[in-house]
Amino acid sequence: MRRDLHSLAAPYALDALDGRERRRFERHLGRCERCAGEVRALREDAVRLAWSAAAPAPPALRERVLTAVRTTPQETPRAEAAWQQSRARGSAHPSRARALFVPFATATAAAALVVAALFGVQLDRAQDRLDQERAAAHEIARVLSAPDARSTGQQDAQGRGINVVASASLHRAVVTVTGLGAPPGDRVHQLWAVGKSGTPRSLGVLDGDTPKVVGGLNTSATSLAVTTEPAGGSPQPTSAPLVQLALKSVGFGE
Amino acid sequence: MLVAHGDQTAFEELYGAVSGPVYGLVRRVVRDPAQSEEVAQEVLLELWRSAARFDPERGSALAWILTLAHRRAVDRVRSARAASERDQRVGRRAYGPAFDQVAEAVEAGLERDWVRRCLDGLTQLQRQSVTLAYYEGYTYREVAQRLSVPLGTVKTRMRDGLTRLRECLGRAI
Repeated sequence: MRRDLHSLAAPYALDALDGRERRRFERHLGRCERCAGEVRALREDAVRLAWSAAAPAPPALRERVLTAVRTTPQETPRAEAAWQQSRARGSAHPSRARALFVPFATATAAAALVVAALFGVQLDRAQDRLDQERAAAHEIARVLSAPDARSTGQQDAQGRGINVVASASLHRAVVTVTGLGAPPGDRVHQLWAVGKSGTPRSLGVLDGDTPKVVGGLNTSATSLAVTTEPAGGSPQPTSAPLVQLALKSVGFGE
Repeated sequence: MLVAHGDQTAFEELYGAVSGPVYGLVRRVVRDPAQSEEVAQEVLLELWRSAARFDPERGSALAWILTLAHRRAVDRVRSARAASERDQRVGRRAYGPAFDQVAEAVEAGLERDWVRRCLDGLTQLQRQSVTLAYYEGYTYREVAQRLSVPLGTVKTRMRDGLTRLRECLGRAI
């Protein structure tokens, strides 16, 4: 029987269970750590199928949704908890408990989600950071909406990775790095554009895993590289790249 | 209210980033344009309402968003099918091939090309099992019936298909 339930992980990830089986499998999921991990991975696979179906939404949809949003309150984890408590107590006024918490609430839910969605990172909730992320979110949205926007990335065996969304026509790119850790001492991670010939051009110093928006990226650049440099950065790289990423698949390096 | 206003701005960014994938996915599953728009609108509003429920421990934000969209689309297409079978107007509607005119309308994208290429790399049974379920909204029992194969085979092919997709796409991106 348990074996039988395990085999439902893939159909579940594809939403290919009927309501009864779905509920039964979800009860099992709550008890089975391994299945939860497996479903998570299979879901991420299924989502790749979703991406391939992307199509521009009708313009009228945007207006309708944004209008509705202006008049629709957001749930919050606190309000939800309060609501559940009041429901457990049999309160006849769950909406009052919910309303009470709304002011704290709406602070960053959608903003955190947009950043998580765009960059695959969870947001530090500090407001100044949030503003930065929002500005970056705007930039990345601009790059993403370019007709020639492409993304690529890679990760080495040690988990050090670099990802880029780039538009050759805009000469812009948004770059994120992962798994590099903090540079030693007061040194910094510096990003470079590397061309076929000539010397690498500095694209600036990286701030942890905060996405770096790069403008004026020459289409002759063949790769991006990150090196460790003294504080403030160097005019030219003084060490071997920690990570490097070819840009051919995103329309550069011509 | 100021805060809420800031959140609305953030939601507009989110809309810009995910409305295409959400609408495209719903449209692929539901087919009917008017119904697709309705479902996509419900999904996007639900994102707004329940953004705070997103839990990064349980997977990426995009997976969460598109999983929600897919679930709603599948629910809609199944209840429509059930209704039409009840009415006995239509026994089994002819649904087009997996890649139809909706896909054609989509602007070119690297990801889509890769997914297509990787789907082509599956065995026919793996591909049919995965696409009948994911793009057409059939349960694995229905898929088994349509393909005339045992239930166990369909479940295995779905898993193998997804795993092979992961390997193939992992190399691509």
